[in-house]
Amino acid sequence: MRKDFLNQAFKKIFFFYIPFLTCLIGISSCGNSFQKPLRSLNSSLIQSANSHREPSLASEWLITLANHQGKELIEVINLRSKKKVALPGLNRADTQPISVSISGNGERIALVRQRGNKTELLVYRRNTETVQLIEINPTGIPRKVSMDGTGKLLAVQVSRGGNWEIDLIRIP
Amino acid sequence: MLVIASLSLSSCGIARQRIPNDFSQSNQQEPALSGNGQKLALIVDQLGRPTVQVKNLVNGKKLSLRHLSRNQPHSSPSLSWNGRYLAIITQRGTRRIAVIEDLVTGRYHTFPLFQDKDPYLLSLAPSGARLAVQIVKNGKWQVQIFDLSQVLEPDKPSGIIRQTNL
Repeated sequence: MRKDFLNQAFKKIFFFYIPFLTCLIGISSCGNSFQKPLRSLNSSLIQSANSHREPSLASEWLITLANHQGKELIEVINLRSKKKVALPGLNRADTQPISVSISGNGERIALVRQRGNKTELLVYRRNTETVQLIEINPTGIPRKVSMDGTGKLLAVQVSRGGNWEIDLIRIP
Repeated sequence: MLVIASLSLSSCGIARQRIPNDFSQSNQQEPALSGNGQKLALIVDQLGRPTVQVKNLVNGKKLSLRHLSRNQPHSSPSLSWNGRYLAIITQRGTRRIAVIEDLVTGRYHTFPLFQDKDPYLLSLAPSGARLAVQIVKNGKWQVQIFDLSQVLEPDKPSGIIRQTNL
């Protein structure tokens, strides 16, 4: 009789309480989400330059500032093919990019760059391979830019009179 | 103060708006537009603590954030296409961690350690399917991409958003 009771109790603990507690612990850790690294893309990024910074993602595109032997270049990678996209006329030897952002279809790139003692806000169009200087008005020094998915709206962090302000600029 | 002010047109057809300083805080930094251009996340000084705010650019209203009124300093905000997801770096103890708040359901996702490295910058893909993270490894800046497609529902351009305070 006593043996049966112990047997029953053991079964209860083994088949019910232990699995129940395990599930409970699993559920309670739901606050942390588990991101999966894209290993092949990440390792190709590591191999392609000394370093990368200022990432900005669009649907199928990643834009970064990639350091090649001390010189930072704007680079766009097609996330599907994992290949770099050519950007003729964008990276110049006499400029230093500071902030970049890319439109949803990857056609337009907004950038803040240093050229000599000037800090400029520009939009590059991949289809025409042209760069358009965007005037900051009232005058200010741009620092960071964000472009919306359509590539027609910019939010720009601008230094003005010792304060940081944000300008919204619509471009045709 | 809810109306977007001071629209000016330049001769080359570029329209400018300055975000009115209606936050009662002066410095506004790290702008991040949603994919559809209707929302703006930014960092403002709140009693000396860099704090994220999200603004609806259509009606000028500030959106309420359920989980992000503390754990400052906040940095590097990033929005998905409709502004459903806000990714940001916050403080947890002595560590910096990446978190994502779902502004529709109120769910809060934390992404504690990227290879035991603190994140420095984030960029969330418009759909919410990927997260780019800038870290320092071996003294160099590195960008790593993570797949979140099993974590977040897609926030697509044609996506229908439940009407909340969005």
